[in-house]
Amino acid sequence: MSTLTIGKALNEGLRKALENDPKVLIMGEDVGKLGGVFRITDGLQKDFGEQRIIDTPLAESGIVGTAVGLAIRGYRPVCEIQFDGFVYPAYDQIVSQVAKMHYRSRGKLRLPIVIRIPFGGGIGAVEHHSESPEAYFAHTAGLKVVACANPADAFWMMQQAIASDDPVIFFEPKRRYWEKGEVDTSTSLSDAYPLFASKVVRQGTDATVVAYGPMVRTALDAATAAAEEGRELEVIDLRSLSPLDLDPVYASVRRTGRLVVVHEAARSGGLGGEVAARVTEACFYSLEAPVLRVTGFDIPYPAARVEEEFLPDLDRVLDAVDRSFGW
Amino acid sequence: MSKGDGARLPATDSPTSAAADPEFVQLLTPTGERVKHPEYDVDFTDEEFRGLYRDLVIVRKLDAEATALQRQGELGIWASLLGQEAAQVGSGRALRPQDMAFPTYREHGVLFCRGIDPIMPLGLFRGVDQGGWDPNQYKFNMYTIVIGAQTLHATGYAMGITMDGKVGGDDGEAVIAYFGDGATSQGDVNEAFVWASVFHAPLVFFCQNNQYAISEPLERQTRVPLYKRADGFGFHGIRVDGNDVLACYAVTRKALDDARHGQGPTLIEAYTYRMGAHTTSDDPTRYRIAAEVEEWKGKDPIKRLRAYLEREEIADDAFFGSVEDEAAREAVSLRERVLAMPDPQPLDMFDHVYPGGSPEVDQQRAEFGRYLESFAGAEGHR
Amino acid sequence: MSRVKEFPLPDLGEGLTEGEILKWLVAEGDMITLNQPIVEVETAKAAVEIPAKWAGKVARIFHGEGETIEVGTPIIAIDTDPTAGDLPEPSAESLAAVEVAPAEGMVEPGLIGGPAPGGRTAVLVGYGPKAGAATRRPRIQTPAVVAVPAATSTPAPVRPAPAPAPSPVPAEPVRGGGETLAKPPVRKLARDLGVDLTALVGSGPSGSITRDDVMAAQNGTVSAPTAPSFGPDREQRVPVKGVRKLTAENMVASAFTAPHVTEFLTVDMTRSVRLLERLRELPDWRGVRVTPLLLVVRAVLLAVKRHPMINSSWADDSIVIKEYVNLGVAAATPRGLVVPNIKDAGRLSLRELADALTALVATAKDGRTSPADMTGGTFTITNVGVFGVDTGTPILPPGETAILAFGAVREMPWVNKGRVRVRQVTTLGLSFDHRVVDGELGSLFLRDVGAFLSDPGAALLGWT
Repeated sequence: MSTLTIGKALNEGLRKALENDPKVLIMGEDVGKLGGVFRITDGLQKDFGEQRIIDTPLAESGIVGTAVGLAIRGYRPVCEIQFDGFVYPAYDQIVSQVAKMHYRSRGKLRLPIVIRIPFGGGIGAVEHHSESPEAYFAHTAGLKVVACANPADAFWMMQQAIASDDPVIFFEPKRRYWEKGEVDTSTSLSDAYPLFASKVVRQGTDATVVAYGPMVRTALDAATAAAEEGRELEVIDLRSLSPLDLDPVYASVRRTGRLVVVHEAARSGGLGGEVAARVTEACFYSLEAPVLRVTGFDIPYPAARVEEEFLPDLDRVLDAVDRSFGW
Repeated sequence: MSKGDGARLPATDSPTSAAADPEFVQLLTPTGERVKHPEYDVDFTDEEFRGLYRDLVIVRKLDAEATALQRQGELGIWASLLGQEAAQVGSGRALRPQDMAFPTYREHGVLFCRGIDPIMPLGLFRGVDQGGWDPNQYKFNMYTIVIGAQTLHATGYAMGITMDGKVGGDDGEAVIAYFGDGATSQGDVNEAFVWASVFHAPLVFFCQNNQYAISEPLERQTRVPLYKRADGFGFHGIRVDGNDVLACYAVTRKALDDARHGQGPTLIEAYTYRMGAHTTSDDPTRYRIAAEVEEWKGKDPIKRLRAYLEREEIADDAFFGSVEDEAAREAVSLRERVLAMPDPQPLDMFDHVYPGGSPEVDQQRAEFGRYLESFAGAEGHR
Repeated sequence: MSRVKEFPLPDLGEGLTEGEILKWLVAEGDMITLNQPIVEVETAKAAVEIPAKWAGKVARIFHGEGETIEVGTPIIAIDTDPTAGDLPEPSAESLAAVEVAPAEGMVEPGLIGGPAPGGRTAVLVGYGPKAGAATRRPRIQTPAVVAVPAATSTPAPVRPAPAPAPSPVPAEPVRGGGETLAKPPVRKLARDLGVDLTALVGSGPSGSITRDDVMAAQNGTVSAPTAPSFGPDREQRVPVKGVRKLTAENMVASAFTAPHVTEFLTVDMTRSVRLLERLRELPDWRGVRVTPLLLVVRAVLLAVKRHPMINSSWADDSIVIKEYVNLGVAAATPRGLVVPNIKDAGRLSLRELADALTALVATAKDGRTSPADMTGGTFTITNVGVFGVDTGTPILPPGETAILAFGAVREMPWVNKGRVRVRQVTTLGLSFDHRVVDGELGSLFLRDVGAFLSDPGAALLGWT
């Protein structure tokens, strides 16, 4: 058992993947010599060489486009997009090519590409470094989208994503990169919790809170505070945003009757709406209150000095739980 | 044309001025005479010359048949290569079996030269599939409709060749990436130039400059001859007469061999003309003048080769007749097979979204299947 | 595709709706090749040659030179397989005429905005849009009320314990024990009226509680009575038609044809009531509507097996004894009394019976009972107990030999094991056709039904 930060766990997971399969490559801006601006790829180029850990030209579309070519050639590229706000130049290659070539080829061509994207806010940054673009990708058929929320998941989900033949957009909660947790690195990949599955991370009876990525910690903190007030919240980490694994959520809502969904991304068109629609259909007779969402506002991500007002926090989650009980 | 003096955008005129007499590598004049070039030559047997001619004729004939099929509603769309046969056959024949090609959506001639069944892309144009074949099986990527995107794929693939250590000898592998004049404005193409040069990729960028991107002439894409763009990125660029199959062959052959021997990328600009429309519903009379088209008719790629073969007595009327017959047979065969293409079944569209499958897609397929069964006379097919 | 293809006059541009045939370039019987010019047609601009869409033999030319015809009219028929022998009669319906998109001005066929084959409008990148009709395709089955779990070929992720096992995609709403199935508007109504939802039995789909159930509970009646509206003579005429009229006719036919005898039996069915409670606890029976009527049905079916003659009909010179039991349950609906029956009820398991009863009641309340459901009954139960009534002398539905009235189940003092105790007691009333059933048969049958209800366990063990 090791205690690792999420960042270190990702690093270890990448290392394992590179060791297991010589076809795995890592490519992105500053990933080699520098080890990445968040040090997620620290030390890897020294051990695996410049052929496999590639510092690319400054061109996101180029990173993903050449990864497509490398995948056709038989490699398993892991692309790093340095910050969420810079994925957009690559968006065309991702949705027009990466997402569609397996379908276009009627199943004959596989593109086992992983695109890693640090996402979310709360790091006091300037513009474009705190985005939550996951809905744009979850909405695109042909892509799978996951988000890790703790070191153990970071370690295992990274390896699973690389081993998967599906193209995976892998979101990493950058504000949580330095938060620590226990990771059992000794078990085998085949025993790991499934990649495209959600997980109950805290059991409770009074209301269900669903979150992913950086908001899982927020939801857990809210549950801790709620317990002081005598309310037991069940917290579910979605982990997989496409496909959504909602059976555990349905089971939970059928017991609690109340659901709050939390994400940093803006409310309109966010994944909270998708979860709400599905839960309402599946759990109609069980709902004591409508599904409530705690989200970012429908504004561009604001300046650093006011971002804490924008981001959902413990108080806003509990406010939604309170409102749910008002029905 | 104005050079940015004041508040007006430059006008777009037809490129007749630029087309007058560009510098390019030529080995066969429009009237079919061989010319010498200091660096490039071809050394073909008579058999090989005749083979080139046959390829050109068949490629044009199949293209015409597909155009006719579209007019008759049997294809939804067709992108004709009329006028560009020499660029495609010349470069296509220069590829070695181990080389990989990344086309746009108009390289039916290259596909033919790779020995691939010409029916293969027709599924895309008929709308029965999205053009699905295995690029690795055919050493020929699927058609890419997004302009220029494939140049990055080609570059990545070429980088993979280097990583595999398959660069250096005669048996080295090379990649050719096709794109048009319009594509050279796309970011992806320029990024591909950056990557190819920085990583010294074994890659030939083959630009068919057919003078138009739908309705927009070359002047809207560049201020400088396209082949010179390579200089800015640090590799060699060359312009060739795109209607001269011999020159296209020679230049492409050399560039591919340079690449496979580790000399890095080359940009070839094949200077040619899109004799037909962009695609079948386009109306070129709206943006170009008849005189220009007439002028290019005089530079026809097939006529000049025929003139050469006749003059050199490499081929006789019997041969030309047999080529026409063969082309006609190929065209009929293509037509019949297109008409026989089965339409996809409604539930087929749920297949192959993910190699790993998706429970959500499965559920939607099952629900839609039940929905279709609820209709009277249900094959479910509209 | 038919061998003979008819070629319509295409729209040649400029909003043309008709054209004049100037000159035929081929004649009937000619062999023609693909794209060969076959006719000259005059448009507003000039004479236009039209090429043949198919190769083959010219089978018919429909219009002659000098004729003006509308765009879309077939002008020539081409036999595309002339070597295959004599032609069949030419089809009256030709290939669908190219439905011309209104060409506004001067767009030629095949160019952007112009007409394209198949009634479409040409676009740069494909076949182009086509006009649709505002008609609905006929369906053979209406959508299910409750979604069926989808069979997925991609297995749901296998989560290790202690997470709950994956449940199928939206199926029965299950929440803890004793859940109330009620949609949000019904819940609000109940809350506003102060009605306790948990005390109600729902008559909606899946046993859910409806508005009517809430209203009925509030009024304390099973169905809201409608007050008559008297005219100035203090009388109201209610026309007799539809179900009511038919029911009346049937009753008359039955009552004055078959000699009716009714026998009564009062039964302590406490053990049955307890059995029902245990049934409700079983995991498989969660959410299933379980009522005493279910056990009465079961009792009747088992008793019929022991006394098959009771499940028969009088046919003047014969008695038709039926092996299948189409078990009718009389139901009061807003349109009157209906008696839908459960087909071949004797073959159903207890669970299947429960589901069938629930469905039958719900369908009847919605007024959707089909004619097929209402014919072919062989034995009927009338549940007068829901009205709070003890028993009655029911009238036989025509074609049936026996009908059982099941009264209210009341707590009453009863001698049980030598002591007077409070037990769940009900009265059964069996009317039968005395031509078919004599006193002995009727009594034995009734006794067996009662015996089952008073001690289902013994009946299970003792009856073969």
